[in-house]
Amino acid sequence: MVPDGIAGTTISPEKINSSSRRISMDHNFADELYSDILKTPNGESGPIPSGNYEQSNSHDHELDNFSHDDESLWGSSPEEGTNQYGMEREWQRRHDQFHTIGYRDGVTAGKEASAQEGFNVGFKESVGVGYNWGLVRGVTSALACLPNGLKEKLVETQEDRDKFQSLYESVHSLSTTDALKLFHDGILSNKSVEHSESAEAGPNEAGLQDPSFDLLRNYFGELESLVHRSPAMEVNIVLDH
Amino acid sequence: MEDIFDSSLNLEENHLREGYNEGYNDGLTSGIEEGRQVGLKHGFEIGEELGFYRGCMDVWTSAIRVDPNCFSSRIRKSIKTMDNLVKKYPISDPENESVNEIMDSLRLKFRSVCASLNVKLEYSGYPKSSDANMEF
Repeated sequence: MVPDGIAGTTISPEKINSSSRRISMDHNFADELYSDILKTPNGESGPIPSGNYEQSNSHDHELDNFSHDDESLWGSSPEEGTNQYGMEREWQRRHDQFHTIGYRDGVTAGKEASAQEGFNVGFKESVGVGYNWGLVRGVTSALACLPNGLKEKLVETQEDRDKFQSLYESVHSLSTTDALKLFHDGILSNKSVEHSESAEAGPNEAGLQDPSFDLLRNYFGELESLVHRSPAMEVNIVLDH
Repeated sequence: MEDIFDSSLNLEENHLREGYNEGYNDGLTSGIEEGRQVGLKHGFEIGEELGFYRGCMDVWTSAIRVDPNCFSSRIRKSIKTMDNLVKKYPISDPENESVNEIMDSLRLKFRSVCASLNVKLEYSGYPKSSDANMEF
């Protein structure tokens, strides 16, 4: 039974101790556990560095060697100290258990909260590059499929028609996955370029960019110049949305 | 007795909450990056497909300009419809609810134009063909 005056009153170490001792002796770790917690200055369970456990295993009765902040809290007799380290371990285990459960739920909730924002960031980062790349695909593919008569009206010189054709072949040999990989590698190397730029403060790093990323851009540049030389081809080079 | 029980629950709750808060902050950070990776892929693919349609239509429209009778009026009408759909596509607003509907209409129109022109215009990774290619 709960002694009068304990239930519903402010928790104090004394009350915890006295009442818990009354509960059962085989669960007497509880009083040591909680009285210890309540004595901790910030009221939180100061996580004990795991090193202590190893130490307590290897130097069971050499408590004097500890230079731990909480040393004053430990009992003076070696037996009691060892026991308390056992309690501490149990306490730490439970702490870790609940912390881990909470952490997992927190990670899930945090991810859910920010994934859409991240998605939008990535989307805006890539949609324009993808569009330019798709434009090269579309123009060269559609042109390649036109009857020769129409092709000649749209692209004046044989040389440029050949260039359009070879651009089509190069581009067509790349799948979306290939292109995406080029793009992705480019982002990564761009980042490392930015990084080394800030470190070395070199202003002209354009030439140092990953050639694979340049490949996508080169194709687009080639399309631009071919379209530019073919006035009959009216292509919306600029993405205007 | 209740005190012990309560305080034990409180402590466990505190650890849960403490873990939760730490996890939440870490989750926010990793959610941004994971979301971004998905967005990068999706944005690139959407951009590629839209650019592809735009490029095809620009060539066809240019062809009509130099030779007004090169395509039937039905095809010309379909090309015009596609042109409007691409213009309507909210490319900078991935959360817009109309994106899937517009993209579906675009794919349908594109397929019908290609069938009418008797050309096969696809690329490895094009949404319709990729379904078959993903098998291996």
